Amino acid sequence: MKLKILPPTLRKNNRYLAIDIKSEKEISKDELVIATWDACIRFKGECETSNFNLWVMRFYKLKNSNGYYHYKAILKCQRGFENQVRSSLSVLTKLKNHSISINTLGLSGTISGAISKYIN
Amino acid sequence: MYLDLNIKGNNYDSDLILAKEANHWGWNHISFNYKNNNYYNASAYLDQIKKNFTNKDFTNKNFTNKDFTIDLRCEISNNNCNQIQKNIRNFRPKTKCLSVLGGDSKVNRVACENIKIDILSRPYFKRKDCGINHVLAKEASENNVAIELCFKDILNSYLSYRAKLLMYFRDIINLYRKFEFPLILSSGASSIYDIRNPIDLTYFFKDIGLKDDEVLNSISNTPLNILKFNENRDNLILKGVKKIEGFNET
Repeated sequence: MKLKILPPTLRKNNRYLAIDIKSEKEISKDELVIATWDACIRFKGECETSNFNLWVMRFYKLKNSNGYYHYKAILKCQRGFENQVRSSLSVLTKLKNHSISINTLGLSGTISGAISKYIN
Repeated sequence: MYLDLNIKGNNYDSDLILAKEANHWGWNHISFNYKNNNYYNASAYLDQIKKNFTNKDFTNKNFTNKDFTIDLRCEISNNNCNQIQKNIRNFRPKTKCLSVLGGDSKVNRVACENIKIDILSRPYFKRKDCGINHVLAKEASENNVAIELCFKDILNSYLSYRAKLLMYFRDIINLYRKFEFPLILSSGASSIYDIRNPIDLTYFFKDIGLKDDEVLNSISNTPLNILKFNENRDNLILKGVKKIEGFNET
């Protein structure tokens, strides 16, 4: 039987990070999920990362330019841990032996807000 | 205002790409770091970079930076102390920012004791400790020599080596709190994959243990003070005595 949805007051509060990804090799959304989780677990450890509640909500592929693959994504994380997620993502450099860099474009309270402000 | 005094310079094309990327992410000033052997070649094409560099290239409204400046920094990397002294005499009048690559304990000491040096870069380089102790910290504070922590060292390392580097960073931060020598945070980027948003960089260093004002000083005020101080360095006669141009004695 499916669990009943929690009332809004008991739900976790989320924030949405708009991120910019530059990669040497083409990556998929699943690979980005692995990369973000791996970066957070490596930098912050398992116990701290369990608070983050990371989800890749949207994934956009942009035009290739200057010899790298360029993507943008919306990443969900729990309110109060945004800065720790930012710092964890900033230390990610390699994915499957290829260079990758993740920069944060900005922070928003809703997905639509993040898209309109930082993606479009 | 965000200043990055350590972006690794290579050649004209790569420098231009790095400058555009740094501008895109919101840096206000970058200095291309060249070793003393290549410094003269780099200064030949710096003006060309500045000329070709136009802010019109950027479409991202959130990060386009109109007040963007580029400069060069000379890094002396030598293990021979006499040779370092020679290089300092040679390069001091020619550059706005002079640094010494640390690592060797003698080099760290020479750098901290010399008032002509602006930055001691990466004192923990290839060492099993942070490279700075209370004596050197005091010297650095007296001679106004900034100690530089390079973010690229963290990026290029992993697991135990990265953990050790973070430990050395914390050791230097503890000494910085006690002796108040100038501290500088820089990216040390050599490719577009190493350049980070300055805000991400500040959050990383806050995670390590720096406070808000300390990070702001290290990434903004201290580098700015170094550049401003060096603009007037020719007019300094002694420590605390400055020649004022255009002053009428009568």
